[in-house]
Amino acid sequence: MKPSLLRYGKLALPFLVLMAFLILPRVRDDQDLIRILFATFVWTIAGIAWNIIGGFTGQVSFGFAVFYGLGAYTAALLINAGRNPYFAFLGAAGIAMLASFLVGLPTFRLRGPYFAIATIGVTEAVRVIMSNVSFTGGASGYRITEYGPFRQNEHYYQALVILALAVAISALVAYSRFGLALRAIKQDQDAAAHLGVNPYAFKLWAHAIAAALTGVAGALHARYNIYLDPSGGPGGVFAFQTGISILLIPVIGGIGTVWGPVLGGAVVGVVEEWFTVKFPSIHLLLYGALLIVIVLLEPDGLVGLLHRLAKLFRRRREDTGGPRADKVLWGRSRLEGREL
Amino acid sequence: MSFEVPERQICGFIGPNGAGKTTLFSVISGAFKPTAGSIRLRGKDITGKHPARLVKMGIARTHQVVRPFRVLTVVENVRLAVHFGRKKVAGAQSAQEQAMEVLSQVGLQNKADLLASALSLGDQKRLEVARALATGADLLLLDEICGGLNSTETRSMLDLIQQIRDKGATIMYVEHDMKAVMSVCDQITVLDFGQKLAEGKPHEIQNNDAVIKAYLGKPTLESGPGA
Repeated sequence: MKPSLLRYGKLALPFLVLMAFLILPRVRDDQDLIRILFATFVWTIAGIAWNIIGGFTGQVSFGFAVFYGLGAYTAALLINAGRNPYFAFLGAAGIAMLASFLVGLPTFRLRGPYFAIATIGVTEAVRVIMSNVSFTGGASGYRITEYGPFRQNEHYYQALVILALAVAISALVAYSRFGLALRAIKQDQDAAAHLGVNPYAFKLWAHAIAAALTGVAGALHARYNIYLDPSGGPGGVFAFQTGISILLIPVIGGIGTVWGPVLGGAVVGVVEEWFTVKFPSIHLLLYGALLIVIVLLEPDGLVGLLHRLAKLFRRRREDTGGPRADKVLWGRSRLEGREL
Repeated sequence: MSFEVPERQICGFIGPNGAGKTTLFSVISGAFKPTAGSIRLRGKDITGKHPARLVKMGIARTHQVVRPFRVLTVVENVRLAVHFGRKKVAGAQSAQEQAMEVLSQVGLQNKADLLASALSLGDQKRLEVARALATGADLLLLDEICGGLNSTETRSMLDLIQQIRDKGATIMYVEHDMKAVMSVCDQITVLDFGQKLAEGKPHEIQNNDAVIKAYLGKPTLESGPGA
């Protein structure tokens, strides 16, 4: 492939966007905007994480609220114990990872939709347990006391850096031999096994990485929000709806692609944080409508849509010979090999 | 049923439909666990081991019904096998080179960057062989790799099999095309209803009464000689 201006542009764009977000708080001191962006970053991190197991590996999970919530509570406990917030983030990642093995060890042995179904049950179980254990205040929630002034911009930068890290991890996974194995497992796990890939182990590790990242997202949420709600209602960290919102991010943006969850995260973040305030009575309706439109018109999400547009603009110089490689990850994921 | 496969030979397995040839391959490659009996590789028991473990020990198979990773490119399909095969590879670059080398062995080097789903059936069969080869296996289980190929393609595939053997690998080969099997195999085992019917050199098999009976049926008064 020849290095072209377009190709360099593609690589430079993420850095330009990152730079823009880095200088934004200095240019525009709009605290409400910063709040919405912070929340969007947190959602996006979780969406990127979900995409590693759900998108690349094709193991759909409805239970990411478990890792989000456990990460949030772990960070909260550690911060209240006087630990450094960064240490708390690491702790959140670790606990979420441990939890991912507990879910994955039995369920990845099974074929078919059992993993997906099990994740629903685990979410409910963990929510009920966390609403009843006393050391985190049970159903009345948990409050975080951190000494020092509250600086919103600090949270914003923290989330932005971790988001950049999440994108880097996602890209690293996608283009490594590990990611190649994950994509093979998604398409045909038996054929992958006959080429030396142990699907069980790879699923476990993909799940663990995803859980750790989601745990950090939960930790960011916890440190910012100060109060954690374990209920099943909206805003509850262990709520089923939280897991669904995370899952929708890559679905809207483009499942199994590096940039899909980033775009999807922007949409879901805005919908969750802005629609909820702007149109409190009908925000779920708007959400649903948006989802239906995307699933019906472009199953490959926003990335698929962008790709279609790009195709319209340049109908030239496409050398013949069928679909080419770089479209698979950057562009359309082509879901025909999907296995739930 | 019991048999041995000598090293550095092409051992054909033939038999009528449903004789158990593919099942045999599935058991050896670890896809199915046998309910009884044992499989040994150079004297070491490998019964019931996971397919991925067996690949690391040097056993690779192709699938009768091709199973390419359709949304990976041709070279990615092969690179996967290089990465997770028998030998450790130094890095992405050398894995890519090795994959390209195997692809040119089977004649797919010009289609390396296509998605596997874009290949014709013949090319997908080649890809099956390329992936198995790329694992670095020294025991290859090739299941009907010539099915659906025309006669020139079949010829080049058979040449390839012989080259692989000459490089030191052992091949177990299932095929329905008798001409192909007879021309390429060093030894043939005939299966019927999961039982071993006969084994021997190709010309011995051709003249074996039990084999002829299994394929053509018992001679009867109406259809037999003299009717």
